[in-house]
Amino acid sequence: MILPALLLALVSPPASPAGNWRAVLDLAGGELRFSLNVRPAGRVLRGSICNGRSCTPLSGIRVAGDTVVLEMADYAATITSVLRGDSLTGIYHNVGNRGPRTIPFRASRGRWRIEPASADLLGSWDATFVTDGRSSPRVLLFSNDSSGFIGAMMSNTGDYGRFWGRAEADSFRLAHFDGSFVYMLTGRLDGDTLRGIFHAGLRTQTAFTAVRTTGRPHLRSPTEMTSADTSAPFRFAFPGLDGRTVANTDLRFRGKVVLLDVFGTWCPTCHEASPMLVDLYRRYHGRGLEIVGLAYEVTGDTAVDAPLVRRFQVTHRVPYPLLLAGTSDVASAAATLPQLQGFTSFPTSIFLGRDGRVRLVYAGFLGAATGAQHDRQVAEFRATIERLLAEPPR
Amino acid sequence: MIRQTLVPLLTALAFLPAPRLAAQAPADLAAERAAFTDWLIHSPVSPYAAVSAAPLDPAGVGLELGGRTARIVERNGAAWLEGAGAPRVLPRNRPALVGTTTVLVTGEPPRSRVMLFGAGRRAVAPAYYPYDPALVFSGTLVAPTAPGSERVLTPDGVEVEATVAGTVTVPLGGGTTLRVLRLPDPGSEESSLEIYFRDGTSGTGSYPAGRFVTLAPIAGGRYRLDFNRSRNPFCAYNAAYPCPAPWRGNTIAVPVAAGERYESHP
Repeated sequence: MILPALLLALVSPPASPAGNWRAVLDLAGGELRFSLNVRPAGRVLRGSICNGRSCTPLSGIRVAGDTVVLEMADYAATITSVLRGDSLTGIYHNVGNRGPRTIPFRASRGRWRIEPASADLLGSWDATFVTDGRSSPRVLLFSNDSSGFIGAMMSNTGDYGRFWGRAEADSFRLAHFDGSFVYMLTGRLDGDTLRGIFHAGLRTQTAFTAVRTTGRPHLRSPTEMTSADTSAPFRFAFPGLDGRTVANTDLRFRGKVVLLDVFGTWCPTCHEASPMLVDLYRRYHGRGLEIVGLAYEVTGDTAVDAPLVRRFQVTHRVPYPLLLAGTSDVASAAATLPQLQGFTSFPTSIFLGRDGRVRLVYAGFLGAATGAQHDRQVAEFRATIERLLAEPPR
Repeated sequence: MIRQTLVPLLTALAFLPAPRLAAQAPADLAAERAAFTDWLIHSPVSPYAAVSAAPLDPAGVGLELGGRTARIVERNGAAWLEGAGAPRVLPRNRPALVGTTTVLVTGEPPRSRVMLFGAGRRAVAPAYYPYDPALVFSGTLVAPTAPGSERVLTPDGVEVEATVAGTVTVPLGGGTTLRVLRLPDPGSEESSLEIYFRDGTSGTGSYPAGRFVTLAPIAGGRYRLDFNRSRNPFCAYNAAYPCPAPWRGNTIAVPVAAGERYESHP
């Protein structure tokens, strides 16, 4: 009896992680749920992590014996796990300057149940976050879609990506995990007020209350965050991926409407904004629109950054030039674009008129998770481009 | 105001496993320590690989690059590398490779700091006291009467504006109240509630200046304070780092023989 079993074990292929997984990061405030999908692609495995219908591809999957390593290269993060039957157990790990961050990870085969929220929770909420006696505003948007209960959260510097989760009676739990950011919103409806906690990573919990959006502005307008010197054409000159400098004085930009996209490959929201920019380019390039991506990358070292930007270009099929402009912090962007004041967020969109001067600066990007607000932003971008294209060349 | 006391977690978990099992470090702590040891030995920005730290003052910081000297200077709020090809902005709070030197610009103007890292390093794993479940407490944080902030050094010696988060009281040394500050994590939504403390082991087994321990949130607005997770400031690994001064009042009169130990290295 033992020998046949042993032979069977020897000839059986190793277990594969291919399939759909109900995945969890165990935070102090409870389980952060997301979906993990792994599929064979020729001789390799490909995969993605998903918050509802919003998915982020994994950069690689390595399998050695029963060890499965999920890689998220853009964020220098990995999930290292052990495959036993229908479960994966391990840790999520990424690295900072003060050491690694580790969060327990587990997954079981299958798909999460769809658990939509009742109408009482849906809609737009003006939230106030309070930390150590200091408050700051957010807007929460809750809705249902085919994946269940989804949400978005916006601050004065942009949105936090799509949240997905579940609701039970008046309580809810929504999460966003993209390989880099580990966010969770938990709370309940107490009369007319939402009371909850925003969890960031393992250590940070911020209490909030929220009331239904009244219509009065709760956040600053994205067009009022950053201002610009409009007394002269907006100057930029940075190397492209081929090493040649692209500058605002190049003939290709003369008399054109130019949209500068200040972005980084490390920034999930920038990835989300890219398809809209590609669509704008395809719609309006023939009428005189140029788009230039200014990449602010992690290291500032061309040998490291250029391949990341090239991958971004390929992934999103970007037809316009992407330039290596600086490193991935607000100070770097502000220093290399000194005609801007109050630069706050990635991405930022800078619209230049046909005279090369700044006409509008739009801080942040409202992703598809924000629903009508996303649609409104897309409409505003198109209207701005149409208006600037209609101006006579100077 | 009634000061609440952090109570030993075991009091609330009286039905947990036998003492022999309870004395083992929990799996998450073991994984945390293993990941930290790996980082300490292999990361290009490990304190073991640090060569120097210098304030980024107006004169800038020199950097030898194969026989010529480049400079890092601060301009318009950014750190620029000059003298190594076209001037370029170095990232802040993220390492950059310049020649064979890893450069890390931290802090905020006008108190930015440049750390330089080389290839040499020791491969010494941190040492820890045996896990002691009696030094795990849970309780609530007593909020300050008014919002406030203090400039302090983080574990890696970066000067930051920390918000005053409150106090906790532990049943050690007849009851000791410890101040808690919230240290920001630049570029992220995360922050940590930290206690920098000295105790009866400071200088006789643990690092003389003190150790950091993080308050971890648990359910119901309560926090876990696990002294087994106490850790040294980076100046314990390498004298290149500025060492945080002990926080006023945060001294526990009895030994807290848990968490990271300190043995001076030549």
